[in-house]
Amino acid sequence: MSSATREAKNIRVLIAMLGLDQHEVGAVAVTGLLRDAGMEVVYAGRFNLPRAVVKAALEEGVDVIGLSCHSWEYLYYLDELLALLREHDLDVPVIVGGSVVTTGDAQALLAKGVRAAFGPTATPAEIIAAVQELAGAATQPRARSTAPAP
Amino acid sequence: MTERRTQSRIPLQPVYVPADLAAFDHAAKLGEPGAYPYTRGNRAHGPGGAGWIQRELSGEGDAKRSNEQLKYLLERGQTGLDVIGDTPTMGLLDPDHPLAVHAIGTQGVSLCCLSDYRDLYEGLPLERITMSHSLPAVFAVAALHCVARERGLAPAVLRGSVIQAPYYCEDCSYAVHMPFKLRVRMAADTIAFCAAEMPKFHAFIEDTYFISESGLDSIEEMALGFVELRGLVRELLRRGVPIDRFAPRIAILLNCRMDFFEEVAKIRATRRLFARMMREEFGATDPRSWAVNIAAHTSGLTLTAQQPANNIVRGAIQALALACAGVQAIEVSTFDEAFRTPSPEAHLVGLRTQQVIHLESNVGQVADPLGGSYYLETLTDDLERRISEMIESIEARGDAAELSDSGWFRGLFQTAIERHARGIADGTTAKVGLNVHRVPEADDVLLREVAERKIEPARERIAWMKQYRTGRAPEPLREAMAALDECARDENANLLPAIIAATESGATMGEMSGTLRRAYGHSADPFGYPDAPL
Repeated sequence: MSSATREAKNIRVLIAMLGLDQHEVGAVAVTGLLRDAGMEVVYAGRFNLPRAVVKAALEEGVDVIGLSCHSWEYLYYLDELLALLREHDLDVPVIVGGSVVTTGDAQALLAKGVRAAFGPTATPAEIIAAVQELAGAATQPRARSTAPAP
Repeated sequence: MTERRTQSRIPLQPVYVPADLAAFDHAAKLGEPGAYPYTRGNRAHGPGGAGWIQRELSGEGDAKRSNEQLKYLLERGQTGLDVIGDTPTMGLLDPDHPLAVHAIGTQGVSLCCLSDYRDLYEGLPLERITMSHSLPAVFAVAALHCVARERGLAPAVLRGSVIQAPYYCEDCSYAVHMPFKLRVRMAADTIAFCAAEMPKFHAFIEDTYFISESGLDSIEEMALGFVELRGLVRELLRRGVPIDRFAPRIAILLNCRMDFFEEVAKIRATRRLFARMMREEFGATDPRSWAVNIAAHTSGLTLTAQQPANNIVRGAIQALALACAGVQAIEVSTFDEAFRTPSPEAHLVGLRTQQVIHLESNVGQVADPLGGSYYLETLTDDLERRISEMIESIEARGDAAELSDSGWFRGLFQTAIERHARGIADGTTAKVGLNVHRVPEADDVLLREVAERKIEPARERIAWMKQYRTGRAPEPLREAMAALDECARDENANLLPAIIAATESGATMGEMSGTLRRAYGHSADPFGYPDAPL
C-alpha cells in the first residue's frame, strides 16, 4: 500500500451510471464492496447525464467518482464529464468499471484522463486499492462544496 | 469436507436412496405427463421430432435492421422469434429523447411508432410464426393488432407472446417511471383485451428471467414470479374476467442457471404449484388453465467475460437441462453476452446448440426423462415447499404496491446482487476462467474479437423522428391523444382501444406514455424534460 493511500473510513465515493444504462448489478455490487471495505458511498444510481454526476460530486464533496457501465454510453459521455470537471475546477479522480470495458477501451480511457479503468478481470482487491490510492493522492480531504451546481 | 448444497443453498445428502421416497405418493405428486398436476410436463409426450420452439434474442439498430436479423435466424432453422427493445424502448422513451442519444439500437431494437412495427414484421408470417416480444406490452400489442389488420389478418389468428413485468420493473432493470397502479393496469388491460380479441396470443407471460438476472436464487425467482402472477390473476378476477378465459394463455418465462438438477426440479415444482393454485385456489375448471407453458432463457449472469468460449459450454448444459425439463421454448444466451447483444456469429452458435441437443442427443424422445429419480423428486418437493413458503411470507407482508413503493422489493434485489458478487469474490461460487483456472489476459483471445465488437448507436433515428413528428396529420392525432387522456382518467376503461387508435393516428410510445403519466398525476417526462409539444 503506498504512503499516499488514505484510510478507507475517510473516503467518500460517488457511484453513478450514465444515460439509460439499466443493468445495475455491477453498480450495486461495487457499492456493497466499497461499503464493506469501510468507505462511505454516495449512490447516484441510474439515469445520470454528466451534468448530474458533476453536480452530485460537488454537492457531496466526494473523493472519487466511480462510473459503472454495462452499456457503451459511457464512451460518448466521458469527454463531456471530464470537461465539466475541469470547468468547475474539480480535481476529483474518475474511475470507470464494467464488464463491457475492454483492454483497448481501458487504454483509451486512461489517455483521456480517467485515472483507473477496470474491465471484467478486475478483482475486488484491485478496485479497493485503486480507490484508496486515488483518494490518498488527493491533496486534502475534500470539504462539501456550496458552489453552485453546473 | 464442505457442506453439500444446491446453488439456492438447499442442503443435500451425499446420495438419495429409495427410503427418501418411501412416503412418496406418485399419483398425487406426479400423475402422468400431460395430466394434473402436470409435474411431468404439460404434454403427454416429449417434444420428439418437432422439438421445442428454438429462438435467439434479437433486436439491433432500427426495425429494418432487426427484421434482417430475424430473417437471418429463420433461414438457419430457427422455429420462433424473440425480440427485445433497446433501453430507450424498454424505458418508454422515444429515440429523440435527450437521454436516448447514445443508446439507440445498441442493446435491442429501437421501436416507437406504427411504422417501426411495420418494418419489424415485414415479410414475417404473423399467423404462423410465434414471436416472443420482450417489449412494453401494451404498446407492442397495440401495434401488432394494427399491423395484422393492415395485412387483412384477423387479430384472433395472431400467435406469439409478450412479457409482463409490472411489479418489479422499476427495481431490477428497465424502469418505466410509472406508478405501480398504472403499471398493473397496463398489464391487466393488455391481458383482458387479448383474452377477448387475440385468444391465441400469450399476453400474460410472467417473466422471472427478467427479475432473476440480478442474482436471485431459484426459490426467490419463482416466489417473486408467483407473487406477481397471483397479483395479476386477482386483478383480472376483480374485473370480472373468468379465470378460464385467460389462464390457458398464461406462460412463465424463466431462467436456467448452472445447477442442472435444481433447475429441472424448479421447473417441475413450478408446474405443480401452478396447477394446484389454478384448480384449488382460483377455481379454474378447464384443464388447459392448470397446465402452464414454460419458456426459458439460459442465464446471462452465469456467463463470463473471461474465456468467452466457455460460455458455449455453459449454454449447452443449461439448454440440456431445459430440454430434460420439457419446456416449450428455449433461448440460449450467447457467448458474447457479457459484452453485447448477440453478434451474428454468437446467434448461430446459440441456435446450433439447441439444434444439436434436439436432433442429436435424443433427450426429447421421452417425456420427463429424469422423473422418478430419488434425488430429483426429493429436490422437486423441497423446492415446491420453499417456493410456497416464500410466496406466503411475501403476501403476508401486505399490499404489493406498498412493498414496491417502500423499497422492500428493491432491498431484496440489492441483497441478491451483493450476495452474488460476494460469492464470486470469495470463491464460494466457482466461475471457471473468472475466479478459478484463470489465464493471463494476453492469452485470453479465443472469440474475443467477435465478442468485443461494438454496435454504433442508430443516431440517424433522431433526425428521422423529427421528420416523422412533423409529417403527421395534426388533427386526428390531437383527437386520438385527447381520447387516450380521457380513457386513462377512467380507471374502469380498458386502455387498449384508445392506445390502438392513437397508434394508428401516428402517436409515438413516448407521447402516449407521457399522456398516461400525466393522467396519473405525474409529469409526462420522467426526467423533467419539457413535455412533447402536442
